[in-house]
Amino acid sequence: MLGDQYLQLQPVPSKTFSMAPSADCHRLLHINGPTVICHICYPVIPVSTTRQPTDMSSQEDTGAEQDPVPVEPSSVPSSESDATSGEIITVTIGATVPTGFENTAAEEVKEKIGADARISKDRGRIYFPISTDKLYQVHLLRSVDNLFVVVTEFDHYQFKESKEETLLELQQLASQLPWTNALEVWKLNGTLKKKKGHRKGGNGPKEKRNSDVMGERVADAEQLQQPEASPAEGLTKAGSGSDVETSTQDSDEAAPENKLIKFRVTCNRAGDKHSFSSNEAARDFGGAVQEFFQWKADMTKFDIEVLLNIHNEEVVVGIALTEESLHRRNITHFGPTTLRSTLCYGMLRLCRPQESDIILDPMCGTGAIPLEGAIEFYRSFYIAGDNNDMAVNRTLNNICHIQKQRGDKGSASGLPIDTVRWDLCSLPIRSSSVDIVITDMPFGKRMGSRKKNWDLYPSCLREMARVCRPGSGKAVLLTQDKKCFTKALTRMGGLWRRLHTVWVNVGGLHAAVYLLKRTTEMFGQTPEDVRESQGSVHPEGNTEDKELS
Amino acid sequence: MKLLTHNMLTSHVKGVTKGYPLLIKATEVKVNEVEFNPQFVNRMIPKLEWSALVQAADGLGQRQDLPSELIPDYEKNEEFLKKVHRVLLEVEVIEGSLQCPESGREFPISRGIPNMLLSEDEV
Repeated sequence: MLGDQYLQLQPVPSKTFSMAPSADCHRLLHINGPTVICHICYPVIPVSTTRQPTDMSSQEDTGAEQDPVPVEPSSVPSSESDATSGEIITVTIGATVPTGFENTAAEEVKEKIGADARISKDRGRIYFPISTDKLYQVHLLRSVDNLFVVVTEFDHYQFKESKEETLLELQQLASQLPWTNALEVWKLNGTLKKKKGHRKGGNGPKEKRNSDVMGERVADAEQLQQPEASPAEGLTKAGSGSDVETSTQDSDEAAPENKLIKFRVTCNRAGDKHSFSSNEAARDFGGAVQEFFQWKADMTKFDIEVLLNIHNEEVVVGIALTEESLHRRNITHFGPTTLRSTLCYGMLRLCRPQESDIILDPMCGTGAIPLEGAIEFYRSFYIAGDNNDMAVNRTLNNICHIQKQRGDKGSASGLPIDTVRWDLCSLPIRSSSVDIVITDMPFGKRMGSRKKNWDLYPSCLREMARVCRPGSGKAVLLTQDKKCFTKALTRMGGLWRRLHTVWVNVGGLHAAVYLLKRTTEMFGQTPEDVRESQGSVHPEGNTEDKELS
Repeated sequence: MKLLTHNMLTSHVKGVTKGYPLLIKATEVKVNEVEFNPQFVNRMIPKLEWSALVQAADGLGQRQDLPSELIPDYEKNEEFLKKVHRVLLEVEVIEGSLQCPESGREFPISRGIPNMLLSEDEV
């Protein structure tokens, strides 16, 4: 493949790119270990061996992944960067995260991996460097839905005018990309997953939330008692992600080289100026990949998933490291509106649960949020509640499932969480005793209704204010009915203060997560409270005053 | 239902002013192992109604000589903290009921879940 000899700039053979180099080229550089490639004119330029991809993210954000590289001829490859000898290499990992929580995810990456993550212009994606000796750490991340290793990135890919030319170029691209390191990482990742009995978040068809899914998941989860490597791994919801065993596992399974590798290409395309569809790109690029590697294409039972992500001029080629999305990991018993765990994690992180915080979810549904908290932010105590009988039972079942898994592994199984059936407008909880209220409020589309929200939201917010500790208490509330929410909030300005809002996308709906602070005002004494308790609640708040005699 | 949760729960029957603490009537109790964290217990104690906790534990026969009032310097007393940890997090009421001390209204506990819903005329 690509050696690290210094090649004279010369016209590129028409097989690869049809652009002639110019003196002022090297406009589109990609760093691949010890070498740098200009993807426009395509010579290979060795760089100083201490150069790491991390340097790219610490540049001021022009959004460009490729920076002008000081061209220093060097012919001594660093052993650290030698991909083929099994030594430690550094690669860029891409992760998809719930839109709106990119910063939260970057924070988690910084905290758990120590790397500086870069947020893509294509929302819902972050990128960060990691060395292969630390690769297992990516599986400890709770805020990411999917992970992939980057093969190559183009910040400003110049697509051809016509569809035919563009697709042809994509095909040609396949054989030119620096696959080696990414494939090494993919292989390594495969062994890691076997070792830890990896959790496949298992979502199947996207965002399927109805109760049909429930039966399926429970059956699969029951079967799956051995976390060890087996071809029929099925779907598991192991919630405790931090139990990576480092003992050497059996590596009996055939190394990928010994058997025919099956692959598929998944293309995500966004932008108005493309002349081709994602299917066409996937098909043509995939065809070329198949040619080049002599792998077998298989859309459903594949070993390698190649990702081709095109967002306007940004093109990223990657290899998936997660099989199914991790985002429903804790939940085996779904309900109609179960939130994905990565979103729950993002919300929890936003309010920074402290040790021994009492955290309430007064509309817990299937318990996704408090359960994620009980697992990941386990130094707090969670009380999950709902008025619906099925909901509390599902919550309990989800909790029991996780506890049983933990018990089976021999650790103390109990989680710091309890479930209660209650009416959230009249919570059976002592005043000022809760530190954080966190919940997914009814959207009015999948559950409840817009009209109901008009009455529900103000009562809700009041009750939450009552139980929340004045001065230090917080609330993290997810809702799609932003208008109703903000209106209800202005009527309790005395009790809650808005700290921050995160705009998110939940199942295609544009929603918001509001982070609120409980003011020091005592409940029942602010002017709004006095009016509320005297008059009845009207959707158009300003008629209230007329009610008072 | 753990006793930590019980410590937070109160009766909200209409008109009731002294709805706390709820009286526990348990027909089935379980003890689960939960990882002990002394700091957690330390920081939780000031948030509790201590006498309600002791009373509840006593009622279930799980008091383990916890004092009626908090002893000074409990923060460093690991043995004490472990006992508190146990009654707060490890003892669970699975079946039974919670009774409002003023109105006598009973809230059933089933599978460890207290049902605190009031009927329409009670609200």
